[in-house]
Amino acid sequence: MDWSTNLQMVAAGLAMGSIYALVALGFVLIFNAVNVVNFAQGEFAMVPAFVGVWLLTSLNIPFVLTCVITVVFMGLFGIVFQRIAYYPLRNRSFLPVVISTIGVGIFLKNGAQMIFGAEPLSMPRPTSATAVDMLGVFVDPQYIVIIICTLALLGFQYFFFEKTLLGKKMLATAQDKEMARLLGIRVVKMIAITFAYSSILGAAAGILIGPIFFVTKDMGAMIGLKAFCSAIVGGFGSVPGAILGGVFLGVIEVFAAYYVSTAYRDAFAFIILILVLLLRPQGFFGEKIAEKA
Amino acid sequence: MLKLKGVETWYGAIQAIKGISLDVSQGEIVALLGANGAGKSTTIKTITGLLKATKGRIEFMGKDITGMEAEDIAEIGIACVPEGRRIFPGLTVLDNLMLGAIPRKNASQADIQKDLDRVYEIFPQLKESRKRLGWTLSGGQLQMLAIGRGLMANSKILLLDEPSLGLAPVLVQEVFRVIKEINKAGTTILLVEQNARMALLIANRGFVLETGRVMLADTATNLLANEEMKVHYLGAHAHVKEARQQRRSERGRV
Amino acid sequence: MNTSTKNLLVAAVLVVAVLVFPRLVTSNYWLNLINLSISLAVACLGLNIVLGYAGQLSLAQAAFWGVGAYTSAILTTRLGMPVWTGIIAAFFIAAFFGVLLGIPTLKLSGHYLAMATIGFGIILQLILVNAIWLTNGSDGIPKIPSPWIGSHELKAPGEFFYVAALSLTLFTWGAIHLKDSRVGRAFMAIRENEMAAGTAGVDTTYYKVVAFSLSAGYAGFGGWLFAHSGSHYISPDTFSFEHSVIILVMAVLGGNGSAIGSIVGATLLTLLPEVLRFLKDSYMMVYAAGIVLIMIFMPSGIAGVVKNLPVSTRLREWWRSGTEAGKQVAAAVSTAAPAIDPPPATISNGPGSNGGLLRVRGLTKHFGGLKAVDGVDMDVRRGEIQALIGPNGSGKTTILNMLSGLYVPTSGEIALDGAVVTGQKPHVITAHGVARTFQNIRLFGELTVLDNVLIGQHSRSKAGLAASILRPRSQRTEEAALRLKALEALEFVGLRGKEFAEAKSLPYGLQRVLELARALASDPKLLLLDEPAAGLNAAETEALVELLFQICDRGITILLVEHDMSLVMNVSDHITVLNFGKKIAEGSAEEVEHNQEVIDAYLGREVSNA
Repeated sequence: MDWSTNLQMVAAGLAMGSIYALVALGFVLIFNAVNVVNFAQGEFAMVPAFVGVWLLTSLNIPFVLTCVITVVFMGLFGIVFQRIAYYPLRNRSFLPVVISTIGVGIFLKNGAQMIFGAEPLSMPRPTSATAVDMLGVFVDPQYIVIIICTLALLGFQYFFFEKTLLGKKMLATAQDKEMARLLGIRVVKMIAITFAYSSILGAAAGILIGPIFFVTKDMGAMIGLKAFCSAIVGGFGSVPGAILGGVFLGVIEVFAAYYVSTAYRDAFAFIILILVLLLRPQGFFGEKIAEKA
Repeated sequence: MLKLKGVETWYGAIQAIKGISLDVSQGEIVALLGANGAGKSTTIKTITGLLKATKGRIEFMGKDITGMEAEDIAEIGIACVPEGRRIFPGLTVLDNLMLGAIPRKNASQADIQKDLDRVYEIFPQLKESRKRLGWTLSGGQLQMLAIGRGLMANSKILLLDEPSLGLAPVLVQEVFRVIKEINKAGTTILLVEQNARMALLIANRGFVLETGRVMLADTATNLLANEEMKVHYLGAHAHVKEARQQRRSERGRV
Repeated sequence: MNTSTKNLLVAAVLVVAVLVFPRLVTSNYWLNLINLSISLAVACLGLNIVLGYAGQLSLAQAAFWGVGAYTSAILTTRLGMPVWTGIIAAFFIAAFFGVLLGIPTLKLSGHYLAMATIGFGIILQLILVNAIWLTNGSDGIPKIPSPWIGSHELKAPGEFFYVAALSLTLFTWGAIHLKDSRVGRAFMAIRENEMAAGTAGVDTTYYKVVAFSLSAGYAGFGGWLFAHSGSHYISPDTFSFEHSVIILVMAVLGGNGSAIGSIVGATLLTLLPEVLRFLKDSYMMVYAAGIVLIMIFMPSGIAGVVKNLPVSTRLREWWRSGTEAGKQVAAAVSTAAPAIDPPPATISNGPGSNGGLLRVRGLTKHFGGLKAVDGVDMDVRRGEIQALIGPNGSGKTTILNMLSGLYVPTSGEIALDGAVVTGQKPHVITAHGVARTFQNIRLFGELTVLDNVLIGQHSRSKAGLAASILRPRSQRTEEAALRLKALEALEFVGLRGKEFAEAKSLPYGLQRVLELARALASDPKLLLLDEPAAGLNAAETEALVELLFQICDRGITILLVEHDMSLVMNVSDHITVLNFGKKIAEGSAEEVEHNQEVIDAYLGREVSNA
């Protein structure tokens, strides 16, 4: 066993897992708030990646400022998205909403292509380090950046939800909308904020993953689907579940691709998904929901 | 303080209340009674704004609040402890209590702290478990928390929907004792209960609903003594008995 | 004009259209596109069956399309088998994969199901790319042969068109027949309300798998059409998740549940890109925006819009008047309502019956730590009306759910007419003779009143998949008999004249009555009613009481759960009272009314310091 390779793979797995976790979190927050599965969530990571690349390479804006602008942009994007794509369909049944979000995803994909062109773009790295020496093994520094930034973001999120009143209000809204209303919580506002925050999570995912892969219009699709798998594996509706599910899938994927088959790399997330759905559909942390007669 | 006049509400395709009039005066405990399905919870939901009345008027402190949104109704001084408690399972006891104070726009930090202390005084168990998450609490603790959360609103009137549901008799006793205590301290209470006897023991007045209408309205003492109560709960109306006798003989049944 | 004439007319029009078409459109380019749209239309018809009819969201349709295409391509290019045999292989191998997908996903629905099907499709596609020894991987399979008729190769698109059009017609005809058949009704029942479908007698597990399998088979055949025409080349790219989405959009655009709609949707979405070529890059964005707008403004698709046009209502009535169903309904109406004598109270004595129909011993149900029902013994005598009452949370509905098979008891025994039915599935219990209604009405809302009642007879009829599609004489006779019985049931409950109305359009009181008719249609020995009077006004409750007695006169035993105590007191021969999951009293209305424990349970016990 070549443990240096293993260590590299752990790093890569944790990094990819972090990205899945961020996007999965976005899914889960929206779902908890409005009971909708947003099939365009992957594009929530793709759009900011393009915006980031454009700011960095075409306008030569420094990295930190780029992040700030992109985050703000995505926050506004989330609110607009909620108004245009979710709001008109909020009382419709499941199928129209699913198709509508798929439609928005396609729109965003091709919109990005129209604006930024069809060529894959290369996002410059935030650090100029070429490889980080960790315990004698050389690891892609971007992995470290991803892991650290994700931890920071999750830390901020934990603080926000645990310690601020607004955070508590949002959690309350997600856990019991009617009761929240009875307490005077403006549920409509909470929903808008949820969409905005979910988009910001996408912004983080997009900017973080951008330097590793090329930025293309299709980059969001697979990430979105696998993040969805992560959320289900972790227990759909559970916040820690989304995070752990994402990391879990990310790590397994890398190891399975190396030890089992590189060609079927993309399949593993779905194979695990199907196994979980068969054996324990509520995932790690989810709750069984039975229909009332 | 609170007046309903001829209120009608639909629940989906069903007319759940068909013209209810009742009133609650300051400082009272009024009991809203009736068998399951009589329309008690629908009445509460209509008052709190989760359901909208299709006819009739709801007045609070002289102001017409018919059709107001739930969030606004919470802010004008009507607090509710809903059926099933509905504690936020993923938040701590303290969080749940503090969220109860949200409707109070002009309260200072000190006022809220004072009310929190008062709640802890009434429910010492809540103080002990203030860091515990909602889903770990037992039925009795949940009920205490729900009432405590309702108290944090320092509202003018507190609506309680079936507080004894699912509780062991000893806890039921405790809950009713607490309700009486709160009322003594100045909170007006509208109490919905299936356990009519217990409710009437602490209430000043009562309204008995049956299939969406008020059938009896009287002081609590009178209602306790009223044999008719049984009839509204067990359906043994005179006309029903007659019909049954007739049918039986028609069909040759015993 | 009767149905056979109308059918002939339609067939004639179709034949002429198909023959004439390639003369009118001679450009090979357009003919290839038409052939492509036909192959997608078949796949879309398949999706329509599993999603439109059965309500299961499958996003793997393109993968099955691919399986069909590849199966036939491999057999014909590698093994040199004749192209026509490819059809059988494509259809059945794809159908087999459909079963593979259907079985593990049975308990899933909504987005879980969608995600599982997406995963399945992606895995299939990856196999197509990587099993190079079999599929040639990303290079694809070129030079796929065209079908031959005798010594003539159908190479020209115009010639292949005949094959495509003919098969499209056959597959559409099959789908349309399916919709109005026992199997089709079972699918739609599952879509509308899976729980009620089960208790109405439909084996939901079996039918879901059949739906997946059939729809995959359709897609497989569409793949065959695709492989052996056009560029005669296939590669894995064409069978991706994105293409499944396109097929889904086609189905929804055309109108979910409409076979013709699927064809329209597929044709439009295949041809539109050509017409809108001038939009160039922004075409996809327009397409996507269109999808969202359609979902907002036209969620029932084109079929939905067309359905509501006055001209189509008249057309429907004209068509219907010639059908068997229409004639039966008309005949029944014109004769003065036939007095249907109640059959002599058929008190058949099953084994182990001493007048007892239902025997429950020690019935218990735990939910985690909660004892919802705790060791209840009950007896329901043949021909009686028994009520199950008790305050909130006493376990009444839980018992009803165990009796109808929706919950499996933790322990205890349930015997119906001597047969032990504890823990059996709902449709099995229905076949034994138990029918039920629900507290919050569970009708098949989008189906007609008549269809709702016909589904109630599912367990008393036999037509399978083949019979439903091909409609042999035996099937048609059975359908006619079923309709006759359904009309009787509707007459009995007072719903005459509304046979073709949509169930959800009925006023509340009539919906309750319809649910009752559906339950009666299954010829039950025991009728379980869950709060039948909920939401009814005084007059409707009176009518219900009358109806209950009439049902009783027909020899059907009734067990009802009810909160309306006047109704209970009025109607019941025997009352069982529950509290906290245990039986606390039973007896006649008089006995129960004076039972102190019952009074305490309802009015509340005064709790004082012990």
